[in-house]
Amino acid sequence: MDLHGYPQAEHGRFEQILNQFLLKSLHIILDSRVPANRPSSRGGEIKKSDKWFNLALGDRPAAMDSLSFWNRSLMEPMIIDIILVQESPNSSSTDMFTETVVERWIVQYDSQRSLAPQIGDASYKKTYKKSIILLRSVYSTLRLLPAYKAFRKQSSSKQNCNFEINYKICSFSSPFSREEEESMKKYSFTPVDAQQGRLSVSVIYREDLSDFNLDAFVSCPLEIITDYVGSLLTDPMRAFPSTSSEKSRPTSFPIRGKQSNSSSPFQRPHSWTSGIHRDVSTQQSQPFSGSPPLYRSPSFSRLRSETAPMSIPHPMMARSPRYLSPNLSDPSRHSLPPLSPRNTKYDPSSHESSSGIRSVRRHDSLRAGELSNTPINVSQKLSRDAKEDSGRFSSLLSSSSSPRVGFSRSSSRLSFQDDFGDSDFSCPFIVDDVDPPDSQTSFLLPHSLNLDGRNSSDVSSQTSSTAKKSQDAAVGALVHMLRTAPPLRKDSSYYTSHSSKIEIEGEVGAASEFFKPRKTSDALEELKVYKEMKDILLSKSGARVAGKENTGT
Amino acid sequence: MNCEDVEHFEIREVLRCILHTILFHRALGLVRPKDIDLELFEITYVQCGDVELERKIDEKIDQFIDRVEKHPNKKNQICLSFYEVKNKQATWFTNKVERLHWEQWYINLNVAQHPKGHLGKSHSSKVVVDPGDIATEARSARRGALESSLRDVLFQIIRFVNEKKDHVPPIPNLEGVSFPYEITISSSSDSAFGMDMFKRMLQTGHPTMLS
Repeated sequence: MDLHGYPQAEHGRFEQILNQFLLKSLHIILDSRVPANRPSSRGGEIKKSDKWFNLALGDRPAAMDSLSFWNRSLMEPMIIDIILVQESPNSSSTDMFTETVVERWIVQYDSQRSLAPQIGDASYKKTYKKSIILLRSVYSTLRLLPAYKAFRKQSSSKQNCNFEINYKICSFSSPFSREEEESMKKYSFTPVDAQQGRLSVSVIYREDLSDFNLDAFVSCPLEIITDYVGSLLTDPMRAFPSTSSEKSRPTSFPIRGKQSNSSSPFQRPHSWTSGIHRDVSTQQSQPFSGSPPLYRSPSFSRLRSETAPMSIPHPMMARSPRYLSPNLSDPSRHSLPPLSPRNTKYDPSSHESSSGIRSVRRHDSLRAGELSNTPINVSQKLSRDAKEDSGRFSSLLSSSSSPRVGFSRSSSRLSFQDDFGDSDFSCPFIVDDVDPPDSQTSFLLPHSLNLDGRNSSDVSSQTSSTAKKSQDAAVGALVHMLRTAPPLRKDSSYYTSHSSKIEIEGEVGAASEFFKPRKTSDALEELKVYKEMKDILLSKSGARVAGKENTGT
Repeated sequence: MNCEDVEHFEIREVLRCILHTILFHRALGLVRPKDIDLELFEITYVQCGDVELERKIDEKIDQFIDRVEKHPNKKNQICLSFYEVKNKQATWFTNKVERLHWEQWYINLNVAQHPKGHLGKSHSSKVVVDPGDIATEARSARRGALESSLRDVLFQIIRFVNEKKDHVPPIPNLEGVSFPYEITISSSSDSAFGMDMFKRMLQTGHPTMLS
């Protein structure tokens, strides 16, 4: 920005306002469109950083934590796409998802040199005042547009949603096709005059969302899996109450999911490695690289992640990721069976090697000498596991912070702070914004976790090679792993270094309260759990085999 | 704006929605926005989160409803105006506090008139249950039309609020509703009503009449 005759301080103030305006508008939009996994903290003292524009919104959404702002130019527009993700009705076996942009918000500062510069101290103050009103309007409008309903439905009934809401942020975007444009309406807010330019916000939105059948209730057409193995939630599995209550259970789970996604040949076309950022071509032009390709709500991804023990009331769907055991809300993810990282290899017919859940089940089912078609069914399920795991992982990550770019929270905070002293102005210049970085975000994201297309190949090669190796490992390997590595993972080699493992743990762990550092005692407990499970499965399948023999004769 | 008749039991929600929306965009002090879902319509509006404000608004709405009951044949109007306090002049005769209104909003509601016997208390939430599906369909159609009108009104408010911003005085360093405001209710007979409105519009020059 040039400084035609502007005093430095004034210019600096304006830049600060502009920066905060962009952040605030992003905060508002994400809060109103993307369901948050963590509860919003509304009560209590309002943070100084939240007081900007006199609109206290509470904590920033997790999605914002990972966005890299410092290299964003204030001159570039910020384009936020709200995307509705639904399973394609035509998909047969694998899940093809259709993604439709239902809203596109464009927030930008139009620099117009021709505008007569507003001279005087009041200029940035007026800009600030007007932008307060503008942001309020944006806030209200977000609640009046059709997509709000979808957001509410997602937030409230995650389990019964047949869609998900994802988002994408970038500085440029491909224009809509003509058909899309025809079904969309544009609404532009009155721009706010600013120094040598205007702040403008506009939205292009799809008016009619009835095509998406958002209200459809999902849990009906489910397939019954004949080789249903049993669920943690049913009686036999209730033998490990400690498991179900222990919050540390699923720690590694999402990570596994992620791995499986990258290594799986059933990779979804929209897997989060490729991501929605595919049209963000350069690093430079990817200022907001933070949005995960698929911000999966727990309903989608969680289903699969808990497939190993299928709860009886909800027979597992081999195809669709949408079923959900009733007890499986986020906190109850602990009820997942402890997934054995090493048991992935028992799956000769399945290519995915990384789902721990699968492995446990396969191992046991094979041992029990079940019917030969079992593995196929299982692998089908497992393939879903893979996808869902990754989805879940991505969901977790997205909720905590997307690991798009390897940077630490502390550096990203540069943009969140401002160096200008406070003034006689009513806007909160954050002089001493020393909010301690949340535990959720105070970690370094290793580059190995950067799942942009660039790095995914590295990751996938790592995982597939180790997967193959570990396929040969037996339960002993599992035990070994449990004993040696505190965090449970499907493939330990996914992480390039131990430190990165910890970080990932920390990252995912920090996402929600049930991720805690693992201890050997936890691992040993899990081992016990595995053993018990195995016994139960054996007994069950023993009974079944006996039963079959009886009927056969 | 083409407006449907508002049923008695809908008055409260409609008015709350409109008044709060206006205030949310004009209460420029620090607010913690609160989303409120209307029960009768699928609309979510935003409140400032100020308890005192809510109380005041509800009080005024009660007054309005009373007025409507008492004068069912008159057009009743709520006016929300923001003013600046100027020049406390302590003169010999009066201790005048001058109020300079910088924005005024007029909300006119056409309240549906029901023949006697159908409705009990005006602000009860009981819906008159007519026999037959036709009446139900008509009612839901009317309700749908009213909902979309209400949505339009809200969009209008947002548009007006943004279009005219220059006249808004500087924000005092207060929380919540930063500018003093007042809500007045007036009703006039049909004939004089139009003239009144016209006069007011000329005075304020603000096309903020919502009817």
